[in-house]
Amino acid sequence: MANGERAAGKPIMLSSPLAWQVELADALVAGGVTVAAFVPDSRLDGIMARLGERELPVRSLAREEECIAFAAGHRIAGLKPVVLMQSSGIGNALNSLASFAIPYGLGLPLVLSMRGTLGESNPSQVPMGRATPAVLDAVGIQAFPLRSESDIADVTRGVLSLAYEAQACAAILLEPQLGGGRERG
Amino acid sequence: MNAVDVADALVRHAPDSLYVSSLGTATSALRKASNDGPHLYFGGAMGSALPAALGVADAVPARQVVALLGDGELLMGVSSLWSVSSLAPRNLVVVVLADGRYSITGGQPLAGATRFAEVANILPGLSGAQATTAGELVSVLGTIPRPGLVEAVIDDRAWPGWSPFVDPHAVRARFAANVAAGPDVTSSQP
Repeated sequence: MANGERAAGKPIMLSSPLAWQVELADALVAGGVTVAAFVPDSRLDGIMARLGERELPVRSLAREEECIAFAAGHRIAGLKPVVLMQSSGIGNALNSLASFAIPYGLGLPLVLSMRGTLGESNPSQVPMGRATPAVLDAVGIQAFPLRSESDIADVTRGVLSLAYEAQACAAILLEPQLGGGRERG
Repeated sequence: MNAVDVADALVRHAPDSLYVSSLGTATSALRKASNDGPHLYFGGAMGSALPAALGVADAVPARQVVALLGDGELLMGVSSLWSVSSLAPRNLVVVVLADGRYSITGGQPLAGATRFAEVANILPGLSGAQATTAGELVSVLGTIPRPGLVEAVIDDRAWPGWSPFVDPHAVRARFAANVAAGPDVTSSQP
């Protein structure tokens, strides 16, 4: 692992990961993921903690756009990165998706923690959350909502296949029904 | 010093490094200086070249990585400096073409003074320096700790001449082959 001795990016977990978070992290590891670039979010915390437990290199970066370009740098080097962020970060990420990863044919799997949808209590989260699937679709990224633990293995495997084999960026949308988010504050 | 002088000094001094260039002048100059070598040329995504270089450096620790960036490019993606500071890869150097202008769109001035070398020196784990001639640039590259940032002061704003519009799939294929086939050059820093 490059620069593996450093502590930066090591996620801080205040409570134990939920079962679905463990399962999703394990599915990413089982799918051959080599590094995770992320901007933190409460629903992602358990996933990041589990990825750390599994000794996957995790890289906390300052901005979602950086995560895309950083992961694309890993992808062009032949490795298998995953990017995790909140859906509100898609606005920040679009530049490096639409003008770098996608035209260069660098397929990246994205794990997006959805805000602004069912149960949201923050008005400022609603427009971008509502627009996320349409925005992704507009740049040609297929997105697959995940609401049930029973779908995690299949959806994760499928999205990794789209990214690493079909070389198409593809997204898993972590919906509020999974739990672990902070829709209520 | 112009942008081609900088790119020329880089590729002559460290031909085996992996180069990532930002859109516009940096890509045009690197293409010219390296005779369209197998580098990661950006054709768009302003602000994303440094995190891409950081990703390459993280993924390929056995190779030296050089990010050749416009100053407007770095200003647009400047949060990446904090990510570089945090990850602190020992195989990454950032060279900024510092002319205070957006060259590709007509030479309009940047919003303010960038002072990237000073910023780099303030950030933990990152070193900054300035170079005003090609000779000075080579000298600084030989001594600056990694990760490091060198502001190459551009006083001749001549356009390099090569097109900054690249074929993304060709760039990806050639750069990927460069990564896969390249020698271990850990010991020879640019």
